[in-house]
Amino acid sequence: MSHPEQESPQDLAAAYALGALSAEEARRFEAYLARSPEAQREVAEYREVAALLALAGPESAPSPDLRERVLARGGVPAARLAVSRPRSGRPWLALAAGLAAVVGLGFGYAQLTTARDLRREVAQLGQRLQQTSDQLRAREATLNSILEPGVQLFQLTASGDPDPLVQLFWDRRRHRAVIHGFRLDSVPRGRAYQLWFIKDGSPVPSVTFRPEPTGHVLVEGIEVPAEGDVSAAALTVEPESGSPQPTSPIRLVGPLKRSS
Amino acid sequence: MSSTASGSVPAADTELVGRAAGGDERAMAALYDRYGQVLYAVAYRIVGQRADAEEVVLDAFAQAWREAARFEASRGSVAGWLTTIARSRALDLVRARSRRERITATAAAERPDTSPAMGGWPLDPSSGVDIAERRRQVQLALEALSPPQRRAIELAYFEGLSQSEIAERLQEPLGTIKTRVRLGMQKLRESLRPFYFEPGR
Repeated sequence: MSHPEQESPQDLAAAYALGALSAEEARRFEAYLARSPEAQREVAEYREVAALLALAGPESAPSPDLRERVLARGGVPAARLAVSRPRSGRPWLALAAGLAAVVGLGFGYAQLTTARDLRREVAQLGQRLQQTSDQLRAREATLNSILEPGVQLFQLTASGDPDPLVQLFWDRRRHRAVIHGFRLDSVPRGRAYQLWFIKDGSPVPSVTFRPEPTGHVLVEGIEVPAEGDVSAAALTVEPESGSPQPTSPIRLVGPLKRSS
Repeated sequence: MSSTASGSVPAADTELVGRAAGGDERAMAALYDRYGQVLYAVAYRIVGQRADAEEVVLDAFAQAWREAARFEASRGSVAGWLTTIARSRALDLVRARSRRERITATAAAERPDTSPAMGGWPLDPSSGVDIAERRRQVQLALEALSPPQRRAIELAYFEGLSQSEIAERLQEPLGTIKTRVRLGMQKLRESLRPFYFEPGR
């Protein structure tokens, strides 16, 4: 605004690292920053200066148990809602405690907080709850999509053996499929299974996935070619990013036709 | 003090962050031992009292673990990243307080004599971090600035004011404030370079 005089973006690095730019200035500077490795180095160095400024205040020490509380808390956003702090190590127990606190909301606030803090925390936890219910709903949708009348089940096997097995649920109306695999061999690092649909006699690349260590896998929302004669599906092992054409022998295969 | 920052490079902060992202508690503990004190220091300076500063440290580390997977070493050091988080959380907390409470806190922050000494910190001997020495150097470096430069930088860093807000607060032209911030930070950089948490930044 005032002083447009020779203020180069370079000059803003220090103020940016210090957090002294207005939101608008910071946005403009970031656009420049993204393109300038030199400015990125400048900012990185000024951030070191800013980090040291942390020590400019008066000396003080926290309660001796702060370390334990930090480690017990893990990544849970709102400590003040945790009903009981897990006393020993596992941060993800703290997460569970945080979620339990959502359910039991209304008791056990460890400390008084301002109404505004509380509203923020409730909003955060509400969001979490929302995410969890969204996941549940998604699972239910998967189940429904599998159970729907029009959906057909096919099996991909390795030369007819019962192990490993991949079930393919094909929803012909929506041109979607879900695969559910059991006892799949693990694949080396950097490699993954790739699914192929055989359409008009040629393989069409589909999703890649890595099974869990248990050999189990569930992949949803797979697109099935909407046109042409889709006669079979197969699995090969490919680089993790997928291949346009199969580069290794078929591991599992199965027809996508009713045998009748 | 025998050790300065240039002596030994802190062992793989970035690696610790990577492991913390995967839920490795020992990595989290190591990061806390290295930087917990620094985070507490900036939190305490901003919020002005111990219980709130501890809350800030808890929030800041919790946020750090959640965001650890997205940490990019090219954008700055681990120390810089962690203190930035703690500073933001502390400023959030201060903004959420009433004005009256804030005045109390500021007064408390300016009376360091009531706070206990830095006794209870487990120092991580492998990190080469000597907080007490750095603290001294930072204070010397700040004292070497002109008082207006120091004031502008402190208002920005500890009160979260933008340069325009500082200009308004001090009734000075914006250009003057910008110059103070820039020159002050340049001077700090020159004098603090040997003491960076991550040498060679």
